[in-house]
Amino acid sequence: MSALVEILRPDFILRDALVGSVLVGAVCPLVGVYFVLRRMIFLGVALPQLSAAGIAFAFVAYRLVVGPHEHGNVSERSLAIVGAFAFTLGGILVLAAMERQGRETVEARIGVTYAVAAALTILFLAADPHGDAQMVNLLKGDILATTSASLGVLAAVLGAVVVVLFAFRKEFLLVSFDRDLAVVFRKRVAVWDLLLYLAIGVTISLGVMTAGPLVTFGFLVVPPLTARLLTRRMISFSLAAASIGGLTAFVGFYCAYRFDLPLGPAEVAVASVVLAVVTTVTMIGRWRTSARSAS
Amino acid sequence: MPKALVRLDDVSLGYDARAVLQHLGLTVEEGEFLALLGPNGAGKTTLLRGLLGLLPVLGGHIEYCFDRAASPPGYVPQRETLDPIFPLSAFEVVLMGTYARLPPLRPVGRRERALAAECLSQVGLAAVAAEPFWALSGGQKQRVLIARALASEPRLLLLDEPTAGVDPGAAAAIMDVLSRLNREEGLTIVLVTHQLRLVRPVVGAVIWVDGGTAIKGPTATMLAPERILDVFGALATG
Repeated sequence: MSALVEILRPDFILRDALVGSVLVGAVCPLVGVYFVLRRMIFLGVALPQLSAAGIAFAFVAYRLVVGPHEHGNVSERSLAIVGAFAFTLGGILVLAAMERQGRETVEARIGVTYAVAAALTILFLAADPHGDAQMVNLLKGDILATTSASLGVLAAVLGAVVVVLFAFRKEFLLVSFDRDLAVVFRKRVAVWDLLLYLAIGVTISLGVMTAGPLVTFGFLVVPPLTARLLTRRMISFSLAAASIGGLTAFVGFYCAYRFDLPLGPAEVAVASVVLAVVTTVTMIGRWRTSARSAS
Repeated sequence: MPKALVRLDDVSLGYDARAVLQHLGLTVEEGEFLALLGPNGAGKTTLLRGLLGLLPVLGGHIEYCFDRAASPPGYVPQRETLDPIFPLSAFEVVLMGTYARLPPLRPVGRRERALAAECLSQVGLAAVAAEPFWALSGGQKQRVLIARALASEPRLLLLDEPTAGVDPGAAAAIMDVLSRLNREEGLTIVLVTHQLRLVRPVVGAVIWVDGGTAIKGPTATMLAPERILDVFGALATG
């Protein structure tokens, strides 16, 4: 209990990391809702990996073009954000264009993307002799290193993503649920897709930078899957996914602090336990309902 | 003198620049109730998608004698094309029809909600507004999709096999709704179907799609028993 009181105190030493965790935990599921609804869940694995490859590429490119860089300074973080965002958005656009041509299966495209991104990450890291432990931490997402300045950027950008998702929710819903109807209504389907992909790209890039690919993927997918079992309407689906994400990130942070566990895996583990509990309760509920109607 | 709503002039339609239908010359007149009929794979859905603007016109010209931006066609797709993973109530699905006239950033308001409720009532499903769309029966889902199409306040309603896969009672209820909308509201309706017996009593004309082209004529002529026997065999004539 004292650990809980401690992390809730305003002068808690890891307050920025806690707020950053909860922010990523709440906003990733909001874009993850569209991953689940558009049946692109595995994209949630491939895109954070692409984002990581983008970070590694940015450092290699910087070294080749400008020269050796100092690890740990602010410009390094900006460089990493640019690399992560460029690779993520580029990846989404290429995958979307291939989807329209529809020559291979979705799984094949995503599988190849993941394999290529993972290989590139390692190759780019190997190509940078200055790639030390700090850079590896950056790729893993060192959330404990969150500062007030980086938290401010994170809050502002993720806040903008939330505003975009809320303001254009009817357009995003229409192009996701019934693309043909959106065309018949003469909506600019490609523009709305691009805006949604932009929001997804920004969220994943910042998520990977802040919390790493594992946590980002976990929060893109697990809270929306949990919320899907509990809700029957779109708006409650999104809100429940964000709430579950934020809450499980907080509980995960508490568990990591209290039991001295690695933060990211602790957060994903808590979110997964919640999913397992909700799935079990839902299955029991359905089993009881069908047993009652049979008798 | 009936007024033309859509005119096809020497139109070719198809996929990937490969024409499925060629040299179509047809007119859909205001207030008509039309069935698009023909053998499997003849191009009925291709023609419907062409009329909706979902397929590029490969040749010729389609003239819409109404403002498609102000009054887009109402579209009822085959319900299997919609993914059940979306957590939507019947009312939310109908509300989507009102998005046709809502520009970005304008939220759904009282007018749109009232319109959606009225459209749901028109198809006799006001009582299931709060029910999950995917929990409804096939026939109910189809009527909800008709209500969604009506919520865009269309002058032309296009339906892709609205009675496919539903039981005979539900199919009759769907046809009742459609013929009432045509008769009482003067709504122009074009529907793709295979169920000749179901549409024969209600449609005024038929567009027969076969052999890469389409011809239009009165129901009695187009569905004459010898013609049907020729195309579908003895089983379809009854």
